[in-house]
Amino acid sequence: MSDYKAVIIGGSAGSFQVVTRIVSSLPANYPLSVILCLHRLKHIRSGFVEALSIKAAMPIVEPIDKEPIKTGKIYLAPANYHLYVELGNKFALSTEDAVNHSRPSIDLSFFSAAYNFKKKLVGIVLSGANKDGALGLKSVKENGGLTIVQDPNECQVPTMTLACMNATNVDHVYSTQRIIDFLLTLD
Amino acid sequence: MIDNLGIVDTKKIIATIHESYGLDLSDYTLSILKRRFTHVMSYYNINLVDEFVNQIKRNNIEYEDFLDLVMIDTTEIFRDPSLWRELREKYLPEIAHSSGSKIWLAGESSGDELFSLMVVMSELGLSKNIRITASCPSKNRLKRIKAGYGYDLKKMEIGEANYTRLSGKFEFNKFYKMDGNFALMNPELIDDVEFDTTNISQEKVNKSYRMILFRNMMIQYNLPLYEKVARKLIDNLVVGGYLILGNMESLEYSEIGKKMQLVNEAEKIYRKRID
Repeated sequence: MSDYKAVIIGGSAGSFQVVTRIVSSLPANYPLSVILCLHRLKHIRSGFVEALSIKAAMPIVEPIDKEPIKTGKIYLAPANYHLYVELGNKFALSTEDAVNHSRPSIDLSFFSAAYNFKKKLVGIVLSGANKDGALGLKSVKENGGLTIVQDPNECQVPTMTLACMNATNVDHVYSTQRIIDFLLTLD
Repeated sequence: MIDNLGIVDTKKIIATIHESYGLDLSDYTLSILKRRFTHVMSYYNINLVDEFVNQIKRNNIEYEDFLDLVMIDTTEIFRDPSLWRELREKYLPEIAHSSGSKIWLAGESSGDELFSLMVVMSELGLSKNIRITASCPSKNRLKRIKAGYGYDLKKMEIGEANYTRLSGKFEFNKFYKMDGNFALMNPELIDDVEFDTTNISQEKVNKSYRMILFRNMMIQYNLPLYEKVARKLIDNLVVGGYLILGNMESLEYSEIGKKMQLVNEAEKIYRKRID
């Protein structure tokens, strides 16, 4: 039985292929909840889940507001909403102003997940061209969770992972393959 | 500073607000409240929760100013262009057929939904046929809405891009004029709109509307208040009337939602089946 309940992954420019590889590697009965907060075009509401789902064994959904968080599912932050983990193991959505020019903002999702899952959370930040996610990953660390960034040498755009490494003492700097290997040990 | 409020602090602030202003936020989504309180605190340059609480208790922060700052700033003009297209092409012409049709914007916070609706109504030439009521609990915000609000340029760019996506009939700049760096919507758009300061989560309403727009407002409420507000919305609809929520909201977690039929899943348009 894993010590962790949830994995939260943040990514932006250059992260789509990495996320696709990760979600395709997880088995259908993966015992954790996986939350994806990825920067995306705000006016394109459909197609992203479908694209990620092509090779994935786990079901991928965009949670509606107040949806209970279940294990064995991958949740993708919907377009043009912030995604929060709310008390009572539920999701909450918000249309408040963009943070770091982003809605969904990785920082906001990570803050709320860190606060609610504490040490039972794995936070992972992937390739990206801005700093969104750095304070969020710091918050995962401060709440006792495990922090991982994609190796900046492997990132298409390393700005986001480097910002994380500046903001906090990240536990692991992993290649995509090592991230996958690690996530599979939690099975 | 962005999200360091814990639950204990947040609850302390909620209790103070209830005591000092009589405003009960105890059943609001904590994630959102934490951010809103942080926003109010940073506006007043307050770093400590105890200082914030004391300022409220001593009445150094007036209720109307607090309400103005704490309300969620929604979205955009013509957020979800596909919804506005549906309304323009199908639902608004349909409800204009019945005489005396009324529409309620049950939770306006910055005029976005109101001005979007009125632009679409003016495209259809229906502004005089359907009676519109807009409720905004904040007097300050209501005053700004009536004056055309004053949106920043970024917001107008987003609004214009959305208007283009819904294939708007007019040039978007016909609907506003610049005042310094801010855009004021043309007040003629809202000439016939009836305004009030009803706060649906706290007050009784007894009307019969043919359509209610309440997009991305239910996200503020925890389940008990969500149920209560859903009941009020549905009670104020005529049978056959429409309720429109945000595209990622749903009535599926409410009991009263059984009275409604989801007639457009992508845009979350519900139709009242029974009384």
